Amino acid sequence: MSLKPFYISLITIVLIFTCLNIKEDKSRYTLVTKTKVYNAGDIITLEFDFNGDSDVILYCSNTYGSLILKPEIGNTLKFVIPEILSIKSGILNWELLSDSELNSGQIKIHPKNEISEIETYIGPPSIEAGGNDYTMVVALPTDKLDNPLIDGTKVSVKHQFLEIEERDMISTKHGYGYKNLYSYQKSGRMLINTECLGLNSKEFDINIVPAIPTNFTISTDRVHNYADGNQITTFRTSTIKDRYNNIVSDGTFVSFFITNKDGYKTETSGATINGVATAKVLHPDRAEEWDVKAYIEGIANSDIITISYEKAITDFKVSFSKNNRTVTVGPLQSFMNQYIPNGLNVTLKLFKKGNFEDKITAQSVDGFATFKLKKDRFPKGYYTIEIEVAGIKKSFTKISYE
Amino acid sequence: MKNASNKYLISALLIAVAFHGTSIFFTLESTYDALIHLFFADHYTNSWFEPWNYKWYTGFTVMSYPPLVHQSIAALSFIGGLKFGLFSVALIGIVLFITGVYRFSLLISSSRTIAGYASILAVFSSSFIETLHLFGQLPSIIGISILMHALPEIYLWLKTGRWRYLATSLSLIAVTVTSHHVTPIFGMVFFIFPLIGMVIIDNARESTQSFKAVTLKLFIRSFVKLFTRIVGFGVLSLLVIIICILPYWINSKNNPINQVPIPHGSRDNFLEVTSSGLVFFLIPWGILLILIPYIVYRFYSKRYLFFGLSITILFILGTGGTTPIPKLILGETAFNILTLDRFTLWASIMSLPMFGEFTYRFVEGDLKALIQSKFGAVYHRIVGGVLASSLLFMTIFTMSLGYFKPSQPQKIKMLPIVNFLNQDQHDQWRYMTLGFGDQMAWLSSQTNAMSVDGNYHSARRLPELTTRPIERLENSKFKGIEGIGSLQQFLSVPEKYNLKYIFSNDKFYDPILYFCGWQRLRQLENGIMVWEKLNVPPLSSILPKEEVDTWQKLFWGIIPFLSILVAFLLNVQAFFIRSLKTKLKPLPEYLNFRNDYSYFQKGLLKISHTWSIFFLLIVGFGIYKFYIKNDAHHSPENAILAYYDALDFKEFKKAHSIINPESHMTIAQYMLEVSVTDGLLSSYAKLDAINTEIISQTSKLATVKVNTYWITPLEKIHKIYYRSLIKISGKWYLEPEDITTDLPPDQLYTSNKTNYFNQGRRRITTEQTYHEDVLKQPVLEIIEAKLVKFNNSYAIIGEIQNIDNVPADVVLKGTLYNDDDKQLATYNAKYHVKHKLLPKEVSPFRINFEGIAWSRIKDSIPKTFNPDEFTPIELEEQPTKFNLHAAANVSGSDLFKNTSLSIINIDNNNIIGSLFNSGTEEVTIPQLLVSYYNESKDLLWVDHMFIKDGIRQQRKQRFQYPIIKKNSIRIISNDMSNCYVNGLPNKPISHKIVSDRIIDHSDKELQHINHPNYKFIKLDINTFIGNPN
Repeated sequence: MSLKPFYISLITIVLIFTCLNIKEDKSRYTLVTKTKVYNAGDIITLEFDFNGDSDVILYCSNTYGSLILKPEIGNTLKFVIPEILSIKSGILNWELLSDSELNSGQIKIHPKNEISEIETYIGPPSIEAGGNDYTMVVALPTDKLDNPLIDGTKVSVKHQFLEIEERDMISTKHGYGYKNLYSYQKSGRMLINTECLGLNSKEFDINIVPAIPTNFTISTDRVHNYADGNQITTFRTSTIKDRYNNIVSDGTFVSFFITNKDGYKTETSGATINGVATAKVLHPDRAEEWDVKAYIEGIANSDIITISYEKAITDFKVSFSKNNRTVTVGPLQSFMNQYIPNGLNVTLKLFKKGNFEDKITAQSVDGFATFKLKKDRFPKGYYTIEIEVAGIKKSFTKISYE
Repeated sequence: MKNASNKYLISALLIAVAFHGTSIFFTLESTYDALIHLFFADHYTNSWFEPWNYKWYTGFTVMSYPPLVHQSIAALSFIGGLKFGLFSVALIGIVLFITGVYRFSLLISSSRTIAGYASILAVFSSSFIETLHLFGQLPSIIGISILMHALPEIYLWLKTGRWRYLATSLSLIAVTVTSHHVTPIFGMVFFIFPLIGMVIIDNARESTQSFKAVTLKLFIRSFVKLFTRIVGFGVLSLLVIIICILPYWINSKNNPINQVPIPHGSRDNFLEVTSSGLVFFLIPWGILLILIPYIVYRFYSKRYLFFGLSITILFILGTGGTTPIPKLILGETAFNILTLDRFTLWASIMSLPMFGEFTYRFVEGDLKALIQSKFGAVYHRIVGGVLASSLLFMTIFTMSLGYFKPSQPQKIKMLPIVNFLNQDQHDQWRYMTLGFGDQMAWLSSQTNAMSVDGNYHSARRLPELTTRPIERLENSKFKGIEGIGSLQQFLSVPEKYNLKYIFSNDKFYDPILYFCGWQRLRQLENGIMVWEKLNVPPLSSILPKEEVDTWQKLFWGIIPFLSILVAFLLNVQAFFIRSLKTKLKPLPEYLNFRNDYSYFQKGLLKISHTWSIFFLLIVGFGIYKFYIKNDAHHSPENAILAYYDALDFKEFKKAHSIINPESHMTIAQYMLEVSVTDGLLSSYAKLDAINTEIISQTSKLATVKVNTYWITPLEKIHKIYYRSLIKISGKWYLEPEDITTDLPPDQLYTSNKTNYFNQGRRRITTEQTYHEDVLKQPVLEIIEAKLVKFNNSYAIIGEIQNIDNVPADVVLKGTLYNDDDKQLATYNAKYHVKHKLLPKEVSPFRINFEGIAWSRIKDSIPKTFNPDEFTPIELEEQPTKFNLHAAANVSGSDLFKNTSLSIINIDNNNIIGSLFNSGTEEVTIPQLLVSYYNESKDLLWVDHMFIKDGIRQQRKQRFQYPIIKKNSIRIISNDMSNCYVNGLPNKPISHKIVSDRIIDHSDKELQHINHPNYKFIKLDINTFIGNPN
């Protein structure tokens, strides 16, 4: 036999009895307290007349959070809203939770009238000159319970920039007020403070930084115009400024591109100090004509300038030792016939029967470069030797080695 | 027999405590393991019952190692600090070991004198010294000592069947297993099984006249008789082993050690890797090697037969990879997990009773009589002297090994680091140490900050670590490709691990840190350099952990410690009776089986002699080979090898001694020439391999081609040198190399530079940084970005510019998606970007999508080292879109830009050029960033090259860059709609600053090349300054 009908009837009976039970026990609660508006910090109580069950709770909720309160039971049910809720301005919602009915309502809590503090925030801390970029000042005047003052409170935002000192009035909405401060055309530092009801904030500052650079010119500086491969040529930009005539920020990166006679590139770079960037390169070691142009990538550039270097070495001698295994190149003399400074590269290429064998590079010391061609590397035979110094080539054929 | 105190044992204990007890203060802290145990102990002092430790490896459980030793240190540390605990436990270990050897020897030899001798010899046992003073394996020592204490109890239980002995033996097994899990498991096989065999033989012996009369039949009969006791003990001890550290077994089952085996010297072929042979074979065996014939002979006598078998197997297993046998016995897996040196340790300990016996017979027994009668008293004295001095030599040699060849870097003062981590909320991020050795464990135990790394490799969890055979990231330079490869993944994507600080005790890692975008913060007063990475978020306040049941935590905290109390209570009575002689006790059963020491076999003496001579010959030959190999002037090859070896170890005086003395190069001149060369090769390279090829050789002259392979933190370098050598009065010398004669133009020159300083917090406060002290992130502009497929790998390439007015540290993070917007891979730009950009500076970049290298364990790991190794990620689907996040932070460091670059010549394969340093800093490692363009000057690819040599001030440095070969390159997407700068969309934010950008501004400055794929090229330079002024 199935037990299903039995269970169904049992549940039905239980349900019916439960319903009857509720109907029997009907309690009533009415709010006695009439005040609906308080000031923050006031003691707030809610009193209810009641008949029937006193086992009720009050659910309260505001911006701070939610709480459940138990009543003090006398002739009435008295709920005292705890301080943590009553000091917060705004709306306090309450609901009386009982078995029979649901009462609910709202209490409005106003902030105190006196200001205690003015919280101020500013960002971003640096903006670009020119009047397009701005920083935002946000002010929150608060009372001593940390409630924002009522909307419409006047706040003055003051700032100083160079000779300008200005004051703007704003009023708060949703608890705070804000002001966008636009940059000026000059770069520099702007100092800001806020004031509300006679109370001043501390000093804030933001930097107005130069806008992007504009085109500039470049110049060179060198000790002589000979291609000695040793001295340094310095490139220098004019003072780089933005379109409002502010000198660009220190550290602005400028790259200089040099194109030589053969179309090969050299790149050097410098960062500006007071708007001037300097970059250095070594003199070429052969006669050259350089086209130089400087860039601030995507933003500004200079015109092309051309500089030329004259030959420092016009000719050189090569001498071979008795067994030809020591090759001495030199004296290598520069434009006043002085020995070229140490470290000039001299290359020697060896060919055997027209095939390239080896390339050796030596550096000059006191005007001479020496090559020692070892027996084990270059065995017996006839070699062609080609020597190159500062772009000048000399060739010696049929050099024989034992 | 008179029941007197054994004076040998007492002297052994006194010597041991005096000798080891004082020397541990100088050795223990620089051993491999001691500080790891200290770290674990520190864990228990902080949270006895909570097994999860956050400090290492993004969290791991200490249930992965038996806790007793650590908990004991922890318990003692409450009295006098962690190190007090460590040294106290070490002292206890020493006492337990000596007494353990005594009891084990007494059991084996049935002679208190012999056992006394053995205990004295145990003090000087080189394997014990090595394990304690070199390896610092405290749990292992305590485990084996307690096991030796357990052996007599087990014997007595099996022999007499008294329940008391079962209880004591099981209690000691419990202590063993809670100290060290491997010891009882193998101890069962190698110590207890032979012991059972011995008990059966002893039992059989009782029913006959002598051991000779014991037959197989009798043996089986005794076995059957004792069967229930044996099985009972076996089952119960197995239960004890399982139950006492039950959480350990549960943890092992849940987190099986699923990682690539870490190479260990004990698995090497000792004949090939002689250093491993020394440490894992010669030292632990020590003087016992001379006595091998005696030990084998004695252990193969009938009573000890099973010990004979056991020691044979142990001996063979201890030889590691020298023969294939250990691998066959253990199987591939066990062979690769176990460190085989423990077998040698056990074998040498097992030999101690026989060593004691031999010494007894040699000093006052039948052997003395035999030798004196045969060779005379003088000979006996000489041999005694030789043996005694060999023993002392091995002792001193082993003790001093850690002094002459330190396994650890110099002791680091941790306090500045601890203070640094405690300051300014630095412990809100993870840190990592580099070049600290095992001292990293000591740092970890002193700070609350967490490390990405760790020092207990079985507990590693990150796949980046478990998939490669490295113990620690910390010492990754010694682990070649796997090491640096693993390290660089952590360095390039540190935000994944909240890794912000690195403490570097090794200059070697500086280049990799720099080129991965790290910057030097400052040097602490202990000389440790702190590196930091910007743009790394702090750790969450709640970190993930693997929770275990509460019963397991309680079990883990209580049972092991309880086991020691139980063992103490059960054994203490017997111990006091034994040592204080308060009560006359019947002699233990095993003392009934005394050996006869009246007749020493002549044949054995002969064999021992022969073996000794043979052994001496081997040693002599080895020394001769060693000498020939190390004589720098013996041959041109030797001279070359010695020279580059000396250079590698920066032993310049030695290197100079190999330079031709007739070249009149003074050591001062030589040192000067060495000191002026800086760069990747001369300052950051470690010689990996070298081979020589003689190009020509006469009797007096030789030219050698030297192929050198260097490991640097950035890439592997193969450099060929051609060196000439000369033979002067029978010795080969190297001719010195030419030095550069380039003379800079200026003696004194000036250079102006803008410096930046960020105050951080302007107020001295522990609060969070004030709102107004937070700098604005510099604005970058992603000028160009595209997803390309290069051969078979994907990359995001492009150009980025700092369009702000302050210098920026740049972090670029790229992510790939498929058509369905499914994320496929994400990675950061590593070497292919200038991480520090001045205002308006541009850098090309490339983001490679690296997989976790060798992430599948089965992937064959290349045998050769290549730190530049790149594992392209395996993508399941085709990436078609990408997003790119650029984040910038103000940074004033590493802004040296005074290097100019000239192209001198271009042929089809190479670009030859030179770099010139016009600044006031010495450029240590110049890096070229090479952008490739097509005919219409569209960016196609970004490549890089590190230049091997540095550039000194006002000097030039030539370079040769090989143009990449013809390849398949395809642009997949150049849709830049998903590019973000500091979290904001790229286009609007950059448009605000640079509203009318000149597109393709410097296109005219691209260098034309002849190449099937690429028509133009651009070179940028990035420089690492190793030693900023």
